[in-house]
Amino acid sequence: MKTIICRHCDMVSKIPFISRKHVAKCSRCNSTVYKNTKFNPPAMLALCLTALFICYPAFILPLISLHMLKITEGTALIDGPLMFLHSDPIVAITVFFCAVVAPVLLLLSIAYSSLCIMINHYPIYLPKVFKLTRALIHWSMLDVYMLSILVSISKLLHYADLYVGIGFYFFVALLLVDMTIIANYSNDYYWKLFHQRNHEHHNQLKVNC
Amino acid sequence: MSKFAVNGRSAIEQGLQACPICTCISEFKVYPDHCPVCRNTISVRKKNSLQLTWALIITAAILLIPANLFPITILLKNGTENPDTIFSGISSLIKTGMPGIAIIVFFASFVVPILKILILTLISLSIHFKWNLSTTKQLYAHKAIDFIGKWSVLDLFVISIMSAVFNKGVLLSVYPGTGASAFTLVIITTLFATRTFDTRLIWDTTNNG
Ligand SMILES: [Zn+2]
Ligand SMILES: [Zn+2]
Repeated sequence: MKTIICRHCDMVSKIPFISRKHVAKCSRCNSTVYKNTKFNPPAMLALCLTALFICYPAFILPLISLHMLKITEGTALIDGPLMFLHSDPIVAITVFFCAVVAPVLLLLSIAYSSLCIMINHYPIYLPKVFKLTRALIHWSMLDVYMLSILVSISKLLHYADLYVGIGFYFFVALLLVDMTIIANYSNDYYWKLFHQRNHEHHNQLKVNC
Repeated sequence: MSKFAVNGRSAIEQGLQACPICTCISEFKVYPDHCPVCRNTISVRKKNSLQLTWALIITAAILLIPANLFPITILLKNGTENPDTIFSGISSLIKTGMPGIAIIVFFASFVVPILKILILTLISLSIHFKWNLSTTKQLYAHKAIDFIGKWSVLDLFVISIMSAVFNKGVLLSVYPGTGASAFTLVIITTLFATRTFDTRLIWDTTNNG
């Protein structure tokens, strides 16, 4: 049995051992209070590294190529925010943060914490990495960007001949890996190991983990 | 400790708190400011949750006015500037035969920000005046705006893609207008407002009332 306090409604629930396929829900508000990950830390690390490798071509290579006046011009993801960084810094920084910085930092922090669990290394600042991960999940907006590409393509079809660039395929691959990682991310496994290691110390602290 | 945590009653009644990072349960009288296990800062409820939420939604509501009045994009065509506000952009999408895209943009840029401000205002007022609204319905409303919140960044991404595509174009160029910065700030403030709001307060008032 494990005691859990729902972070949405503050209800105390005692839950039995949860298998990997199941999640525990709060008795009062029906929110998920405990989730097991399908992937073990090495699999998570491998997925994060794959995604990080795809990031580079997905952000740098052209997503859309436009054919106008016999000139073909490609547009990559980072071109937009770099273009109006000086004229509209608020817009440029927000776009750059939500489409590039947050997704990359999120992948790095999940990769780093997975690596720590794998090699049984528990640095003192690791809880800060988990905190960062939780915050970044809300700012990583690759899925929104995907819809934006589709909306832009439909708008642009009115102006010129359009081709989907090589970067687009990398971006789709990145999005798929990224969504798999976020859907399966759970740090409960890490804390379970951590509490098992420090069981006696935690009992002295009068805490229930 | 675990023998004191009673199933099916709220944690605050029992003098307990859970760490948001490591989920360890401790007494808030013994550990008022940090988690004994992961050393993360901790408080029974998010600090100044309602005041911060109010400050952010009022700011967002004020910024909604310039965001909708001033042009969000400017299309430079054959040397003449064609400014577009959020609404004129949507109506021109309908005129050019793209009602589907118009609906997506209408929801992302207009409905979502306003819905977020309205729902947060309603829940905050209901907590302040102890209205007897359904607790689960209030939580679902909060979860809904938390889930759809990031999709309002869509139009910013579209502006960034469109600007970059037409960057080197001789005939056409697109760049963000003054309304775009205000709109960006509306999105950022509403995203933060949703995160700073502590949903456990919904239950605190109904139980004590
Ligand atoms: Zn709950
Ligand atoms: Zn903790």
